[in-house]
Amino acid sequence: MRNRRDFVKALAAATAGGFVAQRGLAWAQGAAPKRREVFIGRKRIKVIDSHAHLNIAAVADVVKGTPFERQATTTGDGIIGPARIAWMDRDGVDVALLTQQGAFWYAVTDRGLARDIVKVQNEGTAAVVAKYPDRFFGMASMPLQFPDLAAEALEDGIKRLGFKGGGISAGWAGAKNLSDPEYDVFWSKAQELGAFLFMHPGGTNGNGDPHFAGKGALGNTIGNPLETTIFLSHLIYEGTLDKFPGLKICGAHAGGYLPSYMGRTDAQCRRQDDVCTGKKRPVDDYFKTQLMADCMVFREDGLRHMVAEMGTGQIVYGTDMPFGWPITPDFILNASFLNNAQKEQILGGNLIKLLKLAPNTTA
Amino acid sequence: MQNRREFFKTVAGAAAGAYAVGRGIPVLAQRGGGGGAGRGGGAAAAAGPVKRKEISIGGKRVTVIDVHSHCTVDGVAEVVKGTPFERQAGGRALGADRIALIDGEGIDIQVLTINGYWWWEVQDRDLANRIVRAQNEGLAKWVSDHKDRFVALTSVSLQFPDLAAEQLDYGVKQLGLRGATIGGHVNGQSLSDPKFDPFWAKANELGVIVFMHPGGADNIIKEDAWKARGDIGNIIGNPLETTYFLTRLIFDGTFDKFPNLKVCGAHGGGYLPSYFQRTEVACDVRGNAMCANKKHPREYLKTNIMADTMVLTDEGLRHLVAEMGISQVVYGTDNPLNWPVPVEMIVNHSTLTNAQKEQILSGNLMKLLKITSPATA
Repeated sequence: MRNRRDFVKALAAATAGGFVAQRGLAWAQGAAPKRREVFIGRKRIKVIDSHAHLNIAAVADVVKGTPFERQATTTGDGIIGPARIAWMDRDGVDVALLTQQGAFWYAVTDRGLARDIVKVQNEGTAAVVAKYPDRFFGMASMPLQFPDLAAEALEDGIKRLGFKGGGISAGWAGAKNLSDPEYDVFWSKAQELGAFLFMHPGGTNGNGDPHFAGKGALGNTIGNPLETTIFLSHLIYEGTLDKFPGLKICGAHAGGYLPSYMGRTDAQCRRQDDVCTGKKRPVDDYFKTQLMADCMVFREDGLRHMVAEMGTGQIVYGTDMPFGWPITPDFILNASFLNNAQKEQILGGNLIKLLKLAPNTTA
Repeated sequence: MQNRREFFKTVAGAAAGAYAVGRGIPVLAQRGGGGGAGRGGGAAAAAGPVKRKEISIGGKRVTVIDVHSHCTVDGVAEVVKGTPFERQAGGRALGADRIALIDGEGIDIQVLTINGYWWWEVQDRDLANRIVRAQNEGLAKWVSDHKDRFVALTSVSLQFPDLAAEQLDYGVKQLGLRGATIGGHVNGQSLSDPKFDPFWAKANELGVIVFMHPGGADNIIKEDAWKARGDIGNIIGNPLETTYFLTRLIFDGTFDKFPNLKVCGAHGGGYLPSYFQRTEVACDVRGNAMCANKKHPREYLKTNIMADTMVLTDEGLRHLVAEMGISQVVYGTDNPLNWPVPVEMIVNHSTLTNAQKEQILSGNLMKLLKITSPATA
């Protein structure tokens, strides 16, 4: 799990370091900015961020004295406080779905410890939501290395803590794939609960670390979309999405490469159908129904292509806070090819419907 | 490098084998011999001569150049006989079936390359040189026998970068070949490593195209990662290897060092052009990116990098052109493999203008490949 740890560590360091501060903290330490309210025409739009991270400092107590004690993040922009609220206010984000940053606990082999870590994370998340009830929804963290415990944690999160779903990662799995039948217990529970699952990669798919070293932050630039691509491909090709047709899974970073490069995936099934026996529908059908993606493509051409491939009903707003990626609601508001209804869908409407939230109000 | 070999073997087997023929893809019904017959005449040849399809756009006959095709040449078998590489040599010999195939598909000129790059594992410099010599002479012979219909790119022994530079020089100047073909890595090493500079310098000096074709990303993916449904070693592995290769050339500054390079990535250049935004912002956003590139990443995408049209959908191609610019996109088929890439995908494209269609089908490549006698002349 060295890659993931290094990755998470690098992220943690970056969070504490200079480049995020330019965007995240520097201005927040001054006077609190006025909260931006996003309108389309005269209609006030609730902007919901599907892709926001947090850390829970109390995890440090749980992992103390274990091999994981250096993995807990106790400082930095991942700890939710006034700075995060100020950032959201400035950008015009009304509500964020909070997923745990990183996934170090996937490497924990002790069931009790794994359960304890996610319990603290999830209760910590619930406390953040309780403190800012208008601004956040919680997403459960789960020990995915133990599919039954993961199902339990998801159910506990949704039923006891009021979460909307859970955050999952895939890179840790290595030889294991989340499409393996042992995960049916987890997918089945997610389907039963109507949970919204946000999939976020860990950086390198556990593969080939030396090749992602060097310039360009390739573990992130390539490793992240790659992990998501492999993860979603498995769920499609192995028939997981057919077995659990009620699943709703949102892929981070525009769903990785797959939605932007759909042609090859589908064409291979048509030219060599023996490799596609596990799935029942054309590949793009999954992207129009069960799979969703955030809009983190940064440029209008990329968004136009995503919309053409998936439809606006499957795309949700996402920022990756507290990491300073160049995205604000203006990316959607200024998209020349979207109509107002489509902009509203992406900025919040799709999630309002899916998560059964209070609707937008008209000014 | 077992993976690369297995991949190549699989591809070769597929080309010769049954599955490629008669798949239920409507467009393939138009293709000579089902597109999959790799050698030995094939269905089209057996069925008699295929009428050569001539492509017109808006009433104007346009030349169609296919940048992406595979073949092998017979002379290599003798060279590797008795070496550990003797099973690697063949698989896709050129014959009458290839001419029937391009006739049936409306391809006027096909750019031939030998791929798989198993010869990059050869550590004996002399053997490496003899293999490449046999490949390039075999290509030159076929091209000289079919002057109007084919051009070819040199193979190179890239494990010996200085030798590769010599081979490229010789191939272009003495054998009339038009550029080089390479894989995405040399036994795991990134081609942005300065040790490969002699090769890039030569390509830069000659101003020739370098066509890059991946082999399943075995440099990146650990064993067993592709053991799953969906043929994902190809479907993900190939675009991944190309993405990684091109990304390294950008961020490591190779294109700055050799600004005249024209590197064409197979299969739409992998994921890179279609999902460019993350690459585009990496240097600004990621504190650990250490980018060596001097220009904005998109500038390389619009100048040094080219891609074939194998994104396989109308929308995918629209997006590819929007990202790269029309001058960087060229028609490619992956012949003789049976991908659904008929020339009609360009000719009937829903958003491209006629002038843009012609650029993709041949305009962009005529000058770069020094093709002086277009089919329309």
